Amino acid sequence: MTGGPLRVLGAQTMLFARTVRAAARHGVRRREVLRHMAELGTSSALLIAVGLFFFGVVLVTIAWAQARKYFGNIAVLGPPYFQLILREFSPIMAAVLAASRQGASTAAALGAMSVNEQLEALELSAADPLAELVAPRLIASVLVLPLLTVLGVVAATSSAALTITFAFQNNGAAFLDPSLVTTGDVLSALVKTLLCGAFIPIAASLRGLQAQGGAGAVGEAVTVGVVEACMGCLLIDFLVAAAFFILSAQQ
Amino acid sequence: MIRAVGRLTLWALRGLGANALVLARTLFYLPRLDGGELRRALVLFGFRSLPLTLGAAALIGATVVLQIGVYATRLYAGWAAGFSLLWEFGPLLLGLVMGARIGARNAAELALLNVNGQLEGLRGISLDPFRILVAPRVVASLLSVLGLASVTFLVAIIWQAVAAYLTLGLPVRIFFGAFADLLFWGDLAAGIIKSAAYGLAIAVVSTTAGLKAAGGAAGVGRAAAAAVVSGCAAIFFLDLALTPWLAKVLVR
Repeated sequence: MTGGPLRVLGAQTMLFARTVRAAARHGVRRREVLRHMAELGTSSALLIAVGLFFFGVVLVTIAWAQARKYFGNIAVLGPPYFQLILREFSPIMAAVLAASRQGASTAAALGAMSVNEQLEALELSAADPLAELVAPRLIASVLVLPLLTVLGVVAATSSAALTITFAFQNNGAAFLDPSLVTTGDVLSALVKTLLCGAFIPIAASLRGLQAQGGAGAVGEAVTVGVVEACMGCLLIDFLVAAAFFILSAQQ
Repeated sequence: MIRAVGRLTLWALRGLGANALVLARTLFYLPRLDGGELRRALVLFGFRSLPLTLGAAALIGATVVLQIGVYATRLYAGWAAGFSLLWEFGPLLLGLVMGARIGARNAAELALLNVNGQLEGLRGISLDPFRILVAPRVVASLLSVLGLASVTFLVAIIWQAVAAYLTLGLPVRIFFGAFADLLFWGDLAAGIIKSAAYGLAIAVVSTTAGLKAAGGAAGVGRAAAAAVVSGCAAIFFLDLALTPWLAKVLVR
């Protein structure tokens, strides 16, 4: 990583503020937002659904091996599993996978434009690159990531229920039981996905816009952009989890 | 409909075949590895990724304790946190972050050489790019992720103990007591084997993406992006394939 963590996060905050200001001044084309939403949804949905489906199968396979050893009955793990998936693992997995998928393609697209001097061409024709290119991606990502997280919850819990029912011949329906879920859990998941949804396109766009030079700079932009997007999501996830932990401890 | 299924099958087979070719040619050149390139790749992939890994380890460890520790009774909190970290969250999240870092970088470098015609140039003077570029990187990626995984687990577990002390008020002695009583070497081995497999998959998949690149700066970007995404997909597939087998072999 280049520079200290403070400088890195500072650059992203600045870009976020400038994008919001540019979008407010120039307006954002609704068509462009819809196009990015469609692209983002269709490209990440399969990855996240399949990834979290497998993740659920793996988790219950491990849990099954342990449950037989220590407490015998796997069904007691069902409600906590649902709560954990909703509160923690679907948001973080969906965010990291979206950071890979969407972050990489954003950094690659903007990096190639930057290297080919298409951004200057945009500015010459009196269009603001931030309002034209970054703002639609930002809005689309904030709107789509919560939906992808819901998809992840469905995939991970249904795969767990199916695995327990058909592979281990046990009470799989317990893994679809949301009785432990509280408002705080849903709120925590929502805050995580909204923050990550805003952070991913900003982090990727930042490195894409900064790309200077030839094709090598584009590759570098993708690498750094994706890594920063992933790490930012892990950091956001931890900070929100800690904040909700402290809040719930005070009550 | 049938045409779509056929196209999908062909696409999958072609992808698998390309990856299998990269792996096979790497194995073929294993005895004649270029030492200098291997050292360079080890520094680039392994040593330079260390700060990133340490940061990720601290975040993963602390988050797992915050989320899972609250379910377990005090005696079992250490076991629950350590076990889930070693078996699943440590390797998986480290793999995804390394897939972004090592995979994208490897694909971008190879794609750049490819797009600029430098790979053709190497073949022109009868040097096989697989021997001097690809094989050392695949080996370096495997070794780097293996080494980084060990460091990650160590650091993450220490952070887990700290987080458990701060949030759950759990004394460090009880936390590690659960480790000693309930965890086995097999649990650590499972995490390390998984990480090594992910490291190998990342390298092979990203090499394939890099060698396929064409078309200037946009092509390099597309190759790097494709490497990250197929790396993620490969990691989830491997996770599913390896876990039942490891659980059978290693859990007593």
